[in-house]
Amino acid sequence: MKTKWFTPYLFILPSITAMVILVYVPLFMGVGYSFTNISQKNSNKIEYKIPYKETNGEIKFKIEEKPSTFAFVGLDNYKTTLTTPTFWQVLGQTFVWTFFNVIFHFSIGLGLALLINKPLFGRDAYRMMLMIPWAVPTYISAFSWRWMFNADYGLFNEILKLVHLPAISWLSDPTWAMFAVVVTNIWLGFPFMMVTLLGGLQNIPIELYEAATVDGASKLQQFRNVTLPLLTPVSLTSTLLGAIWTFNMFNIIYLVTQDNPHTDILATFSFKAFFVRGEYAQASSYSVIILLILSVFSIFYLRVLKKTENLY
Amino acid sequence: MKKLKKKLKINFSNLKKISIPLLSVLIFSCTGDSKLDNGKKTITFWHTHNNVETDTLKEMISEYEKKNPNIIVSLQAVPFSDAENKYKTVAQAKDAPDIFRAEISWTAEFASLGYLMALDMYMTEDYRKDFLKAPLKYNYYDNHYWGVPQVTDCLALLYNKKIFSSANLQVPKTSDELIDTGKKLTDESKNKYAFFYRGDPYWFLPFLWSFGGGMVSDDMKILINNQGSIDALNFMIDLRKKYKIMPETVDFANDYDNQQTGFKSGKYAMIVNGPWSTADVLSGDEFKDPNNLGITRIPAGKSGFASPVGGHNYVIASNTKYLQESWDLINYLSKPENQAKFALKNNLLPTRISSYEIPSVKNNHLITDFKFVLEAATNRPVLPEGGALFVDMKQPYQSALIQEKTPKDSLDEIAVAWKKLLIDRIGKD
Repeated sequence: MKTKWFTPYLFILPSITAMVILVYVPLFMGVGYSFTNISQKNSNKIEYKIPYKETNGEIKFKIEEKPSTFAFVGLDNYKTTLTTPTFWQVLGQTFVWTFFNVIFHFSIGLGLALLINKPLFGRDAYRMMLMIPWAVPTYISAFSWRWMFNADYGLFNEILKLVHLPAISWLSDPTWAMFAVVVTNIWLGFPFMMVTLLGGLQNIPIELYEAATVDGASKLQQFRNVTLPLLTPVSLTSTLLGAIWTFNMFNIIYLVTQDNPHTDILATFSFKAFFVRGEYAQASSYSVIILLILSVFSIFYLRVLKKTENLY
Repeated sequence: MKKLKKKLKINFSNLKKISIPLLSVLIFSCTGDSKLDNGKKTITFWHTHNNVETDTLKEMISEYEKKNPNIIVSLQAVPFSDAENKYKTVAQAKDAPDIFRAEISWTAEFASLGYLMALDMYMTEDYRKDFLKAPLKYNYYDNHYWGVPQVTDCLALLYNKKIFSSANLQVPKTSDELIDTGKKLTDESKNKYAFFYRGDPYWFLPFLWSFGGGMVSDDMKILINNQGSIDALNFMIDLRKKYKIMPETVDFANDYDNQQTGFKSGKYAMIVNGPWSTADVLSGDEFKDPNNLGITRIPAGKSGFASPVGGHNYVIASNTKYLQESWDLINYLSKPENQAKFALKNNLLPTRISSYEIPSVKNNHLITDFKFVLEAATNRPVLPEGGALFVDMKQPYQSALIQEKTPKDSLDEIAVAWKKLLIDRIGKD
C-alpha cells in the first residue's frame, strides 16, 4: 500500500483539531474578552419565561427578553487590574510561592537523588518510598496536610502544646498560611524533581568520576566540577517546567487554605473572579497577564538553556 | 533510512485499518444517548441533600412513581459547594435539570439570569397562604414567584444542658450575660470554652443585626459600616481577645468541623448553628441523651434578638419540556404530610404552616425549639447579588477577626465593594 503525502497530516489532524478547539480558540476568546466588559450578567441574551394558562387549560408562555449588553472597553480592565493593590499583593504572593517551591523542590530533589544514586542497601525500596508523595492523589495529601495544620485538632499544634508553646493559627494567619501551603506543595513536588535529576545523574559517564579521582579531586570538587555542570541541562528544563506548573498551581491552595487572601496566587485569583464573581472580562485580563509573565519567563529561560546545549 | 520508511509505511497502513472502526466508535459515542422512553417521561432532578436526607427523598419519589407510572424521576446528587456553579454552567447551555433544589440566595440570582421558570400560574394567593412568610419571600423577585420553599432554617444557640446545670448557671439571654456566663464556663487549662463561633460571615449576621447594624436595607442603603455594625464586629473580636471565652487560635478553613467536634465532645458549652447540624450533634458522646441538647435564641444585643432565615427552594428550569409534570412532583413533595415526614427524619424545618400542626411534628422538641427561634428570625437581602454580598464580605471580615485590619476599615472596605456590586440598583451617587 502506498502512502500519500497527506497521510501523516491526516493522523495528526484529530489532535490538531482538539488543540485548536480546546486551547487556541479559548485563548483568543479570552484575549478578546479582556478588552470588553463582559460578565455573567450581560454575556447572553436573557429570556424570562412566564407561563400562563389559556381559558381552555392550555399552557402558553409569555417571553420577556433582555439583550446582551457587553461592549468594547479598550484597556479599562488592565487599568483596573494594575491599579488594584490586591492584584500587586497577589502577584507578590505568586512569586513568593513559586520561588520557595521551586527552590525547595530542586534542593530536596537533588539531595535525595544524590543519596539514592549511590549503591546502598535497599535502594529500590527507598526510591519507591520517596515516590509515594507523588503517587498519592493530590487531594488526599492536601487533606492530610490540612488536618495536620488544623488549629484545634491538628498534629502540629498538639506537638507545640507538648513543648508548652502557644498554638498557631496555621491556615488563617497571614504569614503561616503561606508557609502551610508551600510546605504542602514541597512535599508533593520533590519526588518529580528527584526522579528527573536521578535520570540526569545516571547519564553522567562514570569515567569522568574515575578520571577526577585519578587527578586527586575530592568528593566536593567532583560534585562541583563534574556533577553540577553536566546536570545543568536537565536541571534547567525541569526547573522551567516546575516553575510554570507551580505558578499555575491551583488545587493545593484551593484544598488546603480555601479562600484565604494571603495564599491567593494569580491562578486562584482569576478563578475566583471568573467563577465566583462572574467577572469574565476582569478574569480574562488576569489570564492574559499570567500568559505574558510566563512567556517572558520562558523565553528568557530557553535562551539560558540554549547556551548550555553544547556542554556534552 | 529506507528501512525506517518501510516500517513507517506498514505502521500507517495498519493504523488506517484500525482507525476506521475507532473513528466510528468515537463519532457514535459523541452522538449522545437517545433513550427510548416508551412513552414515559423522564424528569431530571438535582439536589444537594446529604445521604440520610437522600434516602427520605428517594422513598417519597418511588411512592410518587408508583402512583404515576408514566413518570420516571432521574435523581442526581450534587455536592452543595459545587452546585451553584454547576447549575449555572448547564443552565447557560439550556441543559439544566427540570427540577433543582436551590439554596435561597441562588434563587433570585438564577431568576435574574433567566434560568428559571416563573411559577405565578401555580403559586396563587390561595396556594401561598400556607407557607411561612420569610422563606416564601426568598422566592419572590422582580414581581414573579420563581420557586417553592422546601425547607427553612435559621441560626440558633445550641448549648450543652449538662454543663450549665452542673455549674448552676442559666443560658445567657443577652450579650452581657453571654460574657458573664462565658467567663465562668471557660477554663483554658482544661481546654474548656464557653463559646465558639465560625469565621464565616453568615455566622456574623445574628450579632450584626442585634447590635443595630445591617447589610443592605430594602431601599438599597448600605448599612454594613454604620455604628451598630462596627459595635457588633468589636463585640465578636472581644469575645476572643478580651473576654477570652473562646480559643485564641482561628482556623477559617476547618472551623465548621472543629466547631462540631468541639461541641460534641463537650469542649464548647455553646455554639451557633442551624437545624441541619442537629443530626450530627446528636451523634456526639455528650448528646447520647438527646435531651441534653438545648436550642434557643442567640443572646441579644441592644437591638434585640436576630437570626437569618435560610433554607432551600424547589425551582424549575426555563428549558424544561415537562413544566406540568415537574410542578406536579414538586407539589407532591411539598404536601404538608410529606414536608413533615422529611422534617422529622432529618430534623429540618418545614416551610408550611399546616405541617407544624401535625401532632408528630408538634411533639418533636428539636423542631419546636427551632420554631421558637425561627419566629423571630428575619430575611437577608433578597437580591440576585445575595450570595455575592457574602463573597465580598468574607475576606475583610476575617481580616478584622485576626486583627489585621480595624473593624471600621474592614467594614468600610466591604461597603466599597458592595457599592460596586450593587451599582445598577443603587445608582451612582
